[in-house]
Amino acid sequence: MEIAELMASPLNLAVIVKLEPDFSEGSVSYNSDGTLNRAETKSILGPHSAIASAAAFYAKVKYGAVISVATMGPPIADSALQQAQLISDADSLHLYSDRIFSGADTLATAEVLKTGIKKMEGTGKMDIVFSGHRASDGETGQTGPQTAWKLGYTFLGNVICYDVDIEKRILTAKRLITLQGTPDVIEEIEAPLPVFITVDPSYRSVFNTVSLRLASVKYQKEAEQRAQNYKNYLKIFNAQQLEVDPKFVGLPGSPTIVYKVERIPKARASRRAEVIDGLDQQQLRRVAEKIHEIVGRVVNQ
Amino acid sequence: MAASTTVPDPRTPVRENSTNSANESEGSYRHLYVVVEHDDSNLIPVTLEMLGEARRLMDIFNARYSSTEKVVAIVLGVNIKKLCEELVYYGADAVICVENPNLRYPINLIDTKVISQVARDKVCASKVSPEYSEEFKKPRYMFFSADNVGRHLSSTVLAELESGLASDINKLVIEDLEIKHEHKTKGQLARYEKTLEMYRPDFSGFLWTTILCLDNRNPAIQREYHPQACSIIPGVFAPLQRDPARTGIIVDFSPELDQADKSVKVLNRQITKSPVDFDSHKAVISFGRGIKDSPEDNIKLIVELANELNAEIGVSLPISKRPYSVREPVSSLYMNSDRVIGTSGRKVAPAVYVAIGVSGAMQHIAGMKESGFVIAINADANSPIKDECDIFIRGRMEEVLPVLIEELKKQKQVMEVHK
Repeated sequence: MEIAELMASPLNLAVIVKLEPDFSEGSVSYNSDGTLNRAETKSILGPHSAIASAAAFYAKVKYGAVISVATMGPPIADSALQQAQLISDADSLHLYSDRIFSGADTLATAEVLKTGIKKMEGTGKMDIVFSGHRASDGETGQTGPQTAWKLGYTFLGNVICYDVDIEKRILTAKRLITLQGTPDVIEEIEAPLPVFITVDPSYRSVFNTVSLRLASVKYQKEAEQRAQNYKNYLKIFNAQQLEVDPKFVGLPGSPTIVYKVERIPKARASRRAEVIDGLDQQQLRRVAEKIHEIVGRVVNQ
Repeated sequence: MAASTTVPDPRTPVRENSTNSANESEGSYRHLYVVVEHDDSNLIPVTLEMLGEARRLMDIFNARYSSTEKVVAIVLGVNIKKLCEELVYYGADAVICVENPNLRYPINLIDTKVISQVARDKVCASKVSPEYSEEFKKPRYMFFSADNVGRHLSSTVLAELESGLASDINKLVIEDLEIKHEHKTKGQLARYEKTLEMYRPDFSGFLWTTILCLDNRNPAIQREYHPQACSIIPGVFAPLQRDPARTGIIVDFSPELDQADKSVKVLNRQITKSPVDFDSHKAVISFGRGIKDSPEDNIKLIVELANELNAEIGVSLPISKRPYSVREPVSSLYMNSDRVIGTSGRKVAPAVYVAIGVSGAMQHIAGMKESGFVIAINADANSPIKDECDIFIRGRMEEVLPVLIEELKKQKQVMEVHK
């Protein structure tokens, strides 16, 4: 009876992901001045988006959750959805794609994502939304929490693990809090659903019973099949279909603009280096002596 | 200020209107609000750094615009009266003190509500300064800290206040700007006064992006965007000297909370030790993209050197993105964000710092510049790290490290014999 009830109303989850430059060897290309060569760099599902997808998969295995993955981006961003489906065994994929979305800052991006998730809610109440810690290109870490606030969901950042009490509809999570000059803290927190989670880079799913591990294998197989035919699960929405107000998305809906981009001027040299030839063993001996001298001196103090 | 060079063109009444409306809104946005971070009443250093920068900016602002706008600190917590006084000594003109048992630990939901209430509160603003209280709507500028708490809090507060936010800022300037923007000004030149230029280093550490938060003057999408807000990288700005002679006012604020706000509960808090421990090592060795020719072998050499010096190992930011395929567990052990030294990681100050194949992007330098003695090993004689080290060993790490390790070992034996 209880199980039947749960089957009838499983957890509804959404994962927000992003297509990002691939920083791995062979994919990334840097200009000679150390900056990223965007034209030559390939794109993939962002690493933090991948972790968010894995966090959602945990609830699929443990609670039989239904998962939707969403992204805002150009048509090619559907590849990020496919990769996220492979990780999460998502039941549906949503791409919000419209030329008027481009150039959006975090607030205008959050507006699109909020509208998309509200639209998903039409098919059943949303319980948990996951997003990555931050994108590896933009790195603001703002879009997740801003989407959460617009949705009116409780926001929990830096989550390293979580569990849900389905009956009470309460989520408990552990969060990692690192602040300048203070020891790191792991905080245990509870919040009623719905909740918006950004996962900490250190998040790991643990399937610690045989039945969970078996379920995990089963869903992984399903995910592989689904991802091969990901287009069957894909819905694409433009601005009109999403019913967003054009004034609140893209460039018109962005409070901020990029005013200029410049090379960071070289700071005045703060130290004057003695330059040593790396092939000169005599010189390296002196360096070794110097290191021993300093480290030894500190030891004696 | 010098007279405006943007005399409205009579042929474009649209722009004239929008300029007027901007001037009307001028009185609605006042002061610089700084959101304070503390850990159970112990101030996080970035709070004082933000106050220092806020004070410097607003002193210039007030002199330049003949105004008396304030630096206002917002503090949430329990037993925070003493802390409020400290904030005055460090540069705040006014401190808004929100003492409430539900605010003991940072919880995003409740903190966002309270800070947004404070930011919109006319009574608070009138106590801060009666001068501008009539038309006060929201702060002109707002600072948060770009850390684990402030990053999220700034995002949600600005989503609530519906304005712009720039993250990870390390330079700020207030300027009058002539802006021509397709959307903001409908392609017309418009003057934006008292605009906060927010400088943000990108992930490479080589590019600086200036972000502005601007009202939409374009009549089709007209909107006011205030406060102009940002999160500030810890460890960048200098705090002021503590000065107990400095005076300021402390304003108590009682937030309006409902039952739902209290439904998020902290159950437990436990101090945890990162497996990476820079603070208790006298030497820190970091490596960067210079390992690229043979990543795995080079990391091996670096680990050997670290063992020799009993050093902790750090990395530059790009390494945490695992740009090279290296076998597990080497990659998970060393190429991770826990080890990043710099503005997006940890700040270290060991007696000896050895930077191997690290180019020396500003972001990285900010995390190690307080080190005692700095040695850099780099094949590129022009890399910026050269200006930040005491000894620059020019050469390929594949060649330098084996010799250096051998020398260190030899000398250690000699030292042990002498003992």
